Amino acid sequence: MTVALAPALVAPLPVRRRAARSAMLERVVDAQPEVAASDPTVDDLLVATGAGDRAAFGALYDRTSARVFGLVRRLVVDPAQAEEVTQDVYLEIWQTAPRFDRDRGSAISWMFTLAHRRAVDRVRSAQSARDRDLRVGARDLDVPVDTVAESAEVRIEHERAREALAALSDLQRECVALAYYGGLTQSEIAERLGVPLGTVKTRLRDGMIRLRRLLGVTA
Amino acid sequence: MTEPELPGRRDPVGPDELLAAYALDAVSDEEREVVERHLAASPEARAEVDAYREAAAGLADEAAPVAPPTSLKASILARLDDAPQVAGPRVGGPQVGAAGADRDDVASADAAPAESAPAASAPVESLLPQPATSLAPVAPAPAATPAEAMAPVGAGPAERAARRRWFQRPGAILASAAAAVLLIAGAVVGLNWTGPAGWGAQRQVETIAAADDAQTTTVEAAGGGEVTLVWSEQLGRSAIRAERLPEVGDDRTYELWYIDASGEELDATPAGLFDPDGGAAYVVLEGEFEPGLLVGITVEPAGGSEAPTSDPIVAFET
Repeated sequence: MTVALAPALVAPLPVRRRAARSAMLERVVDAQPEVAASDPTVDDLLVATGAGDRAAFGALYDRTSARVFGLVRRLVVDPAQAEEVTQDVYLEIWQTAPRFDRDRGSAISWMFTLAHRRAVDRVRSAQSARDRDLRVGARDLDVPVDTVAESAEVRIEHERAREALAALSDLQRECVALAYYGGLTQSEIAERLGVPLGTVKTRLRDGMIRLRRLLGVTA
Repeated sequence: MTEPELPGRRDPVGPDELLAAYALDAVSDEEREVVERHLAASPEARAEVDAYREAAAGLADEAAPVAPPTSLKASILARLDDAPQVAGPRVGGPQVGAAGADRDDVASADAAPAESAPAASAPVESLLPQPATSLAPVAPAPAATPAEAMAPVGAGPAERAARRRWFQRPGAILASAAAAVLLIAGAVVGLNWTGPAGWGAQRQVETIAAADDAQTTTVEAAGGGEVTLVWSEQLGRSAIRAERLPEVGDDRTYELWYIDASGEELDATPAGLFDPDGGAAYVVLEGEFEPGLLVGITVEPAGGSEAPTSDPIVAFET
């Protein structure tokens, strides 16, 4: 698995690089027509949403809902519950979009953060830790069968993410996957794996630092 | 179990040690509070968490995208009026979102997450789309397009392709439909429809629109123009108002359809013909309306067809 992925790791795509902090630089970035002017970026749409633009919010939904719903479904397996969570997520996106600060990260990452937090809250309230890790276990890197509506953009991001995750050590990946897809806390992971809590913390931190580098995120 | 990695002898750890886990939502509620207090005071820690979150977004993208049911969007958009937006980035309000808390420089004011936001605190039940049936057809697995949701397992490729073709464009049209709802909902309820065409029909349309449970949605038609559908389950009727539809000539006509997508086969029932006058028309659909039916419009040979012979210019979900 890892071998075939090497090329992508050597040169991570710059897609997800964090925005420049300098206002001047940012203006330059904005001026670059990386997409047609008629085709605003997800970041643009979230900013416009923050200004109360409902049409932008609708477009933002169209552009991102399959990714957000896919993430939520990954944690909250029950479709009806996943829909409820996704609805709450988008309402929260609408409500809190004025706080989005593009200097601090990408719009999609901000949205995923909201979605993941809500999905985790839902699974923690609804399922015991045992249920959760049974679900994660063996299939934590499998793609669900009931997919998929992917644009080219999404497909690329998806592949990049797979590759980066595959480049973690097995122990790191296991911990990261249990945390992120299983909704387990560090303590729950330690208990499940039968390793000290400190070990889990180390693996999570090292894994995330590595992932950050592989995905071209600069701190 | 011995590990080659550094052991965790630094427990209990300071908040900086928790940032990666925090970005993964892998902390307990108590740890989360500790971290968020720390973030409020430390720009370095915030930058660190931001970077971890960008990486976590990579994990999110590893989950395969799944298109939610098309009804979800309308359901969300219909709730925006009850979901006021927070003030700008530097102003701490009572409605800090879950992940928004730490993004706020004055986050310490409210670690309590989105539960304080009005829409978020509404009971889950009330957030469900009102007609529960609108969610049913796509269960158990929301599919990429309505066509795929409807394609029975084992349907031949040609059959699936035909269905997909029929629904592909409306899929795109539907995507924009919900947004339009908000823009025109108020106007339609007020009902000052005036127009050159169909006063009799217009009164009937108004009757439907005045029903307690009337709902309405507007979409742009493929090829130009705009069509509003209004429907009432109580009355068992639906109607359209069309504007600026292109002329189709004497040898063709617009035809309305009720489409039952609940079964294995799409079942399209003719619901009347109409020819816009100067692009405008008010038409009450023939036949009984039931929630969950799709409403479509196609262009057919003069006299109409028994089944659609072309792609719809408009399709509505109800």
